[in-house]
Amino acid sequence: MKFFLPDSQDLVDPSFDFERERRSTTRQRQHDDLYAHEVFSTPTIDGLLVSKGIVDGFGATGSRYTQSQRLRLLRHGAPRFFRLERAPNALKLMGDCGAFTYVHEEEPPYSVDEVLEFYENCRFDHGVSLDHVILEFNPGADIPGGKNIIDASIRARQKLTLERAKEFLRKHKAGRYSFEPLGVAQGWSPKSYASAVKSLQKMGYDYIAIGGMVPLKSREILMCLEEIQTVRNPATRLHLLGVTRTEHLREFARLGVASFDSTSPLRQAFKDDRDNYYTNGLKYTALRIPQIEGNSLLQRKILSGQIPQERARKMERACLEAMKLFEAGKHTVRQVVEVLLEYERLCDREQKKDHAGAYEKTLTDAPWRNCPCDVCKELKYHVIIFRGAERNRRRGFHNIWTFYQQLRNLGLEATNTRQETERPTHQWRSRANG
Amino acid sequence: MPNELILPAVEVKQAPGRKLYCFAVDGKLVHRFAAISRVSRKEDGGLHGYQRPEVLSHIEGIRDYIESSSPMVPNAIVLAFDSRVRFKAASGVTTTPYSRPGVLIIPLGRDEQSDEQKPGFVVDGQQRIAAIRDATIRSFPICVTAFITNDVRQQTEQFLLVNSTKPLPKGLIYELLPRTDAQLPVQLHRRRLPALLLEQLNLDPNSPLKGMIHTATNPVGRIKDNSILKMLENSLNDGALHKFRKLGSKEADIESMLELLRNYWTAISRVFHPEWGLSTKQSRLMHGAGIVSMGFIMDTISEHIQSTRIPTDLQYEAELQSLRPMCRWTTGEWDFGNGQKRKWNELQNTSQDIDLLSKYLIAQYRSRVMHQEKTPHRTSRR
Repeated sequence: MKFFLPDSQDLVDPSFDFERERRSTTRQRQHDDLYAHEVFSTPTIDGLLVSKGIVDGFGATGSRYTQSQRLRLLRHGAPRFFRLERAPNALKLMGDCGAFTYVHEEEPPYSVDEVLEFYENCRFDHGVSLDHVILEFNPGADIPGGKNIIDASIRARQKLTLERAKEFLRKHKAGRYSFEPLGVAQGWSPKSYASAVKSLQKMGYDYIAIGGMVPLKSREILMCLEEIQTVRNPATRLHLLGVTRTEHLREFARLGVASFDSTSPLRQAFKDDRDNYYTNGLKYTALRIPQIEGNSLLQRKILSGQIPQERARKMERACLEAMKLFEAGKHTVRQVVEVLLEYERLCDREQKKDHAGAYEKTLTDAPWRNCPCDVCKELKYHVIIFRGAERNRRRGFHNIWTFYQQLRNLGLEATNTRQETERPTHQWRSRANG
Repeated sequence: MPNELILPAVEVKQAPGRKLYCFAVDGKLVHRFAAISRVSRKEDGGLHGYQRPEVLSHIEGIRDYIESSSPMVPNAIVLAFDSRVRFKAASGVTTTPYSRPGVLIIPLGRDEQSDEQKPGFVVDGQQRIAAIRDATIRSFPICVTAFITNDVRQQTEQFLLVNSTKPLPKGLIYELLPRTDAQLPVQLHRRRLPALLLEQLNLDPNSPLKGMIHTATNPVGRIKDNSILKMLENSLNDGALHKFRKLGSKEADIESMLELLRNYWTAISRVFHPEWGLSTKQSRLMHGAGIVSMGFIMDTISEHIQSTRIPTDLQYEAELQSLRPMCRWTTGEWDFGNGQKRKWNELQNTSQDIDLLSKYLIAQYRSRVMHQEKTPHRTSRR
């Protein structure tokens, strides 16, 4: 089973000095920074998923790219832009539209032609057809007579997604594009997903992405996959868009899932309340030592004079110092937890969260000391500190690496890999104008 | 530890009842006798203090500079002392009707005395003092101007007066940048190279842009300095000029950059001869949207002509000719396809419009080039 990491320009700056918290003044963004696949000496991903919505930005979701970076990506193509040659294993590139960025629109903001053009310029290996996400899920619709539960606007989204998939495949053939096309199945229940897969197979797709599953419970995902199984051709491979459920990967494989993508190992590092640091067994809570200027709540209190800035800075420093002493064996777990909680109370008077137990567990086990990955070996205890982007993102990279190890330990090798067709890489392929 | 500081100082009488004291002191000591009076509201709603909190990122910038090889901070910080601080005039030395030398005697508490007990307050320069306090250097003497008053109102007035100056116009800063090589704050540092290239393009007799860029000292220039800086930054970061930079170092091959820029913009001035050199009102080519978009075209063409390291003006010219028919810089309307039309003078200097125009021109250029290319060479991917 192949794991694709969705790109949103998550890079780390190798010049960052963790003791002084400074960067090199000569650092050039992106050029000098490193992607996850450049940080590790062993494989961490099988490929990247690049979304048009993330590259172009849409509405409130601003682009993660500058204007000149975006044009460079389209000029050079993704393999060169993402420096794939520096990864320890051969990586694949998949493109999609990033339908979640325009989920609240009536219609997708792109045309099929635009999407094909984008995939071709980026030189992806796989391209996902233009789709429109369905957020509703109601298995009751599958009970005889339950048809009318589902609103016409939701049905229209499935219809639109299938129509675009048809157009996408037709134009892909006519334009002799070199990437492999995937159709997208959207649905609101097991049977509606299955019928979408059936239609896509009929069109000629044998690699199908299942969309809109991010908010579903694992049980619901399995229900849908079981239903899809009843119509799936043996040669049809499935891709789960935005889903990681480590505990169910074996079942997914049995049900024809050949690949999936997910940002959760990365995002949990700095978005989750508890599970920030992955190990082969437990997930640990990272130790929060927020930057004074990065914490809006604290910043407001300082600006309004409720908290003396000096005191906040002293506590922040004391926390960092305590971690240093702990790593040197000169501080006990209790001592560190006390200092951390004191600063936490200052940042969050209401104390909505009590981290005492979680911090104790993290410090007692000190999991970073036993982790063989490149990030933990280099960063040591800094990897467990929940603070600025440089630390948090590296912890995310560690999570991706750990997750990938688990995936490989399951022994799920990708099924029925196809013969790779060689593709031209000259500047602009001449295409038969069909 | 002595319990008072005795410092050589000059007393200056400025106006009736107004005396100032100028002296030097090690910046590392200032926090021992001067507090920061932070603004806040008391329980009863009364206002207390006047200073804003430290801006850490600003302090980091100053600190980096102070830790560099030979820093200089010529501007004095301003302190207000209460009457516990005394001036003792020296005898038998030169004086003027308005100034006399002597010593200033500042009582020092213990290192840990509370802010209320300190005889001084910082009116101006708290970021500098904080940077010196945090810097990894033994000592750093600074100049101080002080006045003596027991009245918080006076301190607040002075605080407002010194902090209500107008910041320098950006254009002047950019024009001065190429003349400096000290360690500057990051955002200025990033603009130094573009500013240097701009200056050369504006001065060099062989430059097609000579005298055409509007700067503080060249107010007749037709193209805004910011349009050119943006175009240069884009190309330096992601385009044709990038390869002349050295990764991870300050060095750059300025000469090659200038040659490429001269060649390209010379070609622009020839191909778009009627539209070139007009005001931004008459021609959108001279406007932010036109300059930045044509900068992206420069990157696209340079990459396409891979035969030479730096394409010649004639090569650029030949490529640009294919775009001439669809450009609407001075009249008519652009047709961006998908029913998107835009009158020539409705193009704005916004990222959306620049995006629209750039993408359209690049797509047009590519489709033309693809028509001409009969036999593209093929190479394998990895």
